[in-house]
Amino acid sequence: MSASIEIAGVSKVYDGGVRAVDAVAMDIRQGEFFSLLGPSGCGKTTTLRMIAGFETPSAGAIRVDGADITHVPAHKRDMGMVFQNYALFPHRTVAENVAFGLRMRGLDKATIATKVKAALAMVELSGLEDRRPAQLSGGQQQRVALARAIVIAPRVLLCDEPLGALDKKLRQQMQFELKQLQKKLGLTLVFVTHDQEEALAMSDRIAVMNGGRVEQVGTPTEIYNQPTTRFVADFIGDTNIFRGERAAAGQSLDVGKGLILALPTEAQGTGVLSVALRPEKIRLIPRADAATPAGTSAHGIVENTNFLGGAVLYRITLEGGHRVLVQQPNAGTSRLFVPGNGVTLQWTPADLVVLKD
Amino acid sequence: MMKALGSLSRRRFLTASASLGIGTIAAPYVARADDPTLRITGWGGKWGEIMKAEIGPAFESEFKCKLQTDSAFPYLPKLQASSRSAPIYDVLHTNSNEQWAAAEMGLVEPKIDPKLVPNLADVYPYAISDKIVGVSIFTSAIGLGMRTDKGYGNVTSWKELWDAKYNGVRGGYVIPVNSLGQAFLMMCGTLFGKGQTDLDAAYTALEKLKPIKIVDFTGAMEKMLLSGEVGLCVIHDSGIYRYDGQNQPTDFVSPSEGVLSLEQVLTITPGSKMKELANAYVNYMLRPEVQKRLAETVWYSPANKKVKLDAKYDAKLLTTPEKVSKLIQVDWKWYNERKDEIDQRVNRIFRA
Amino acid sequence: MQTSASHSPSLPAAPQAASVRMPGPIRHYGRYLYLAINIAIIIFLLAPIAIVVVFALNPTPFIQFPPVGVSLRWFEKFFASRDFMHALGFSLEVAVLTTLSATVLGASAALALARGNLPGTRLIVATMLSPLMLPAILTGLALFQTYVLLDVGRPTWGLVAGHTLVTLPYVVRTTLAVLHNFDTRLEEAAQNLGASPVRTFFEVTLPLIKPGVLAGAIFAFIVSFDQFPVSLFLVSPGNETLPVTLFNYLKFDLDGTIGAASVVSIVLAFVVVIGLDRTVGLRSYVKL
Repeated sequence: MSASIEIAGVSKVYDGGVRAVDAVAMDIRQGEFFSLLGPSGCGKTTTLRMIAGFETPSAGAIRVDGADITHVPAHKRDMGMVFQNYALFPHRTVAENVAFGLRMRGLDKATIATKVKAALAMVELSGLEDRRPAQLSGGQQQRVALARAIVIAPRVLLCDEPLGALDKKLRQQMQFELKQLQKKLGLTLVFVTHDQEEALAMSDRIAVMNGGRVEQVGTPTEIYNQPTTRFVADFIGDTNIFRGERAAAGQSLDVGKGLILALPTEAQGTGVLSVALRPEKIRLIPRADAATPAGTSAHGIVENTNFLGGAVLYRITLEGGHRVLVQQPNAGTSRLFVPGNGVTLQWTPADLVVLKD
Repeated sequence: MMKALGSLSRRRFLTASASLGIGTIAAPYVARADDPTLRITGWGGKWGEIMKAEIGPAFESEFKCKLQTDSAFPYLPKLQASSRSAPIYDVLHTNSNEQWAAAEMGLVEPKIDPKLVPNLADVYPYAISDKIVGVSIFTSAIGLGMRTDKGYGNVTSWKELWDAKYNGVRGGYVIPVNSLGQAFLMMCGTLFGKGQTDLDAAYTALEKLKPIKIVDFTGAMEKMLLSGEVGLCVIHDSGIYRYDGQNQPTDFVSPSEGVLSLEQVLTITPGSKMKELANAYVNYMLRPEVQKRLAETVWYSPANKKVKLDAKYDAKLLTTPEKVSKLIQVDWKWYNERKDEIDQRVNRIFRA
Repeated sequence: MQTSASHSPSLPAAPQAASVRMPGPIRHYGRYLYLAINIAIIIFLLAPIAIVVVFALNPTPFIQFPPVGVSLRWFEKFFASRDFMHALGFSLEVAVLTTLSATVLGASAALALARGNLPGTRLIVATMLSPLMLPAILTGLALFQTYVLLDVGRPTWGLVAGHTLVTLPYVVRTTLAVLHNFDTRLEEAAQNLGASPVRTFFEVTLPLIKPGVLAGAIFAFIVSFDQFPVSLFLVSPGNETLPVTLFNYLKFDLDGTIGAASVVSIVLAFVVVIGLDRTVGLRSYVKL
């Protein structure tokens, strides 16, 4: 049966004082697809390895279903893991690889055979039982690794960038299949990735990590739409970040060079603030002759047009000198702006997100 | 042992390796565990065979002891490395030059006590001369070996070796490692200079021997003579006579200037805990019947005057005072003191 | 935003583009020269063995070219000799015990050195490899003196210990080499699947470092079986190894028996290597 995981104030300090993980706290719910997302060196893999038992925390505790497992050795944790390069045993066949965990649990031969067969069927690898890993494609190896991890019915499934080595098409397919499998089995799944699209597409919740700390934990939409920190806003998707002074009790932010941004009514904080505005939240129209309402619009010149297929990404220089990214859906009818065109940008104050630095 | 290897389990390996020291390999003779053990050295080859098969076991049963023979060279460094008070051998059997080196280091007793070894009374004078530590139980004669099928004519003198007709088929030894070579070097001093110790004359003579084929073991010289690779060489009589009856076209020449002696010497170590048995062994080896058996096996001339050899051996070996008087003994003490210097010099001569 | 495709390395340039084009005949001469050099090397390596075989089969008691015939008399003499047979058996016994101890000790040491995070690892490795730098005759003499001082005599285990000392470096070297390329995630995967550290070692680590360990074991066997300088001082009367027995025999009888013994040694070493290969499996199916 799947379990919940509680990570309570866990730190990992290596010899020489490198603080790889710094007071990380999060609760992973039972049956949840939970991603640890961040750039390389952010501490996500170290956190996963501490959950698996390959590293011992320097401080803090890890609890599974409430029981402290901080010092339980890896082989007694009953967790499945899919490694970055699969870590399949090269000297064993596919069937032997999948059977390994069952054998360690002392199951009888017949039970093992049945379970291995079922697991291989689940990942659609029936018939490849006697191959060795080196004879399989990358995607097939990935499935073997998955089958090997889930066949033991682990309390938690840990995945360390499992799809990183696959090409894009295959990766998208595997994302879908992994998600399906996780839902079907009701697995608690902790998924480490540096790929934000992957995390957004698959996760129930995401913890964004940076410099050994957790920046934000939330659902994909929360993370995308309401980033709480400048790092999260910057790391997830494209965004425009402005920094300026908010007058006391004022409802706008002066970001300099003649640009004023109207703040959402519920915006907190005074003094120096950063705000984020997603490129797709901005509307673009041919330059209006009339003066524009300050705070919700601005004039600019198209510097660069980037046709993405489903959308068009423009790089625009505002009259005051700010550079802004704007993304417009490709409706198929309107003609595109070309570099040199004068344009007017419009936005809604509610789309501005105030960030913590 | 071979059978045991097949089924060596891990556990057996552990117990086996723990107990191997106590002699798992069956000895060829039956000795009781509480029998005293006399540790000696001895040659391999034919000598080793007959010692192991007859002479050793007879000694063991007569003296109720176990004979442990080390026939793996080198004896001297091993004796040197072991403690003086508990030496690794009781009796050292080796050639005279090594015995002198051992005596100089105090590893062996310089003399054998005639009261404890009665047979010492019956040996030829050379066997206990001042050129000998301990006692020489046998000697070989170093002279010339020649092919009889090459029409070399009648060879009578050592100096024949310098004749140009032997260029390319002349044989000698690596002097630093071979007793025969060392003895021959001293002979050169006698032949061309003021005597054994005239090294300068010897070096000059050696220089003139080139081209010469040199080997380190006497066995190799025997084979080269048999194969015809050399026609005339320095060799000991037993190295020729041992092929007696095989119709080999080789013969031993006893030069008119005399033959050099290559003694088989026994000494007793001062720290031996088996002194009585050691003396008994030396005495036993000098017994006429033991001497006769060994002499007729390996063609060594016996040291005991009372030995009567069969006619064919009697004809060739040194068995009368007249024949024995032709023996020239080397002053090994003198030689060993200068060995390093001589080695350097002869190495230079033969390297060039 | 970024696709993994943009990360994937571009294909290496076609090799022809880089190779220098030479006119046809010169390229041919180059190939013949290459072939000739290789044949010369093989002849150089095999010539001593060929001479030994000729010596062993030639009926005359001395080396003779051309050989006058073919006879097995030296083999008969060798196999009929109790001394030689005993020495052969003893050499095999010592070599087997040496191989076992050097392999177990060497492989364990290599594992500890590669994984243990020990202080002074480089110094320990250098120490373990040092018997290779020292003339083996000195190792033998030093051990002999040690045994004499300890008053243990010259037991077989002492000889095995001496051989282990000089064969250990081979096992340590070859095992360290495979461990160097070993992916430790395989061990983590095993533990994650419920294997205790001990089981992980036997189920995953050992099978994967086996090629290196086995190569070391084969070296150990051959070095011990052919060992002369270390044995010289450590053999005891009545228990001499084959190389020592051959050396002593050589001093008195230089005949084809030496050649026969050498041929038997070569064949035996070959059989053991093949045997180990077949039973324990030398073939590396591992992409290390």
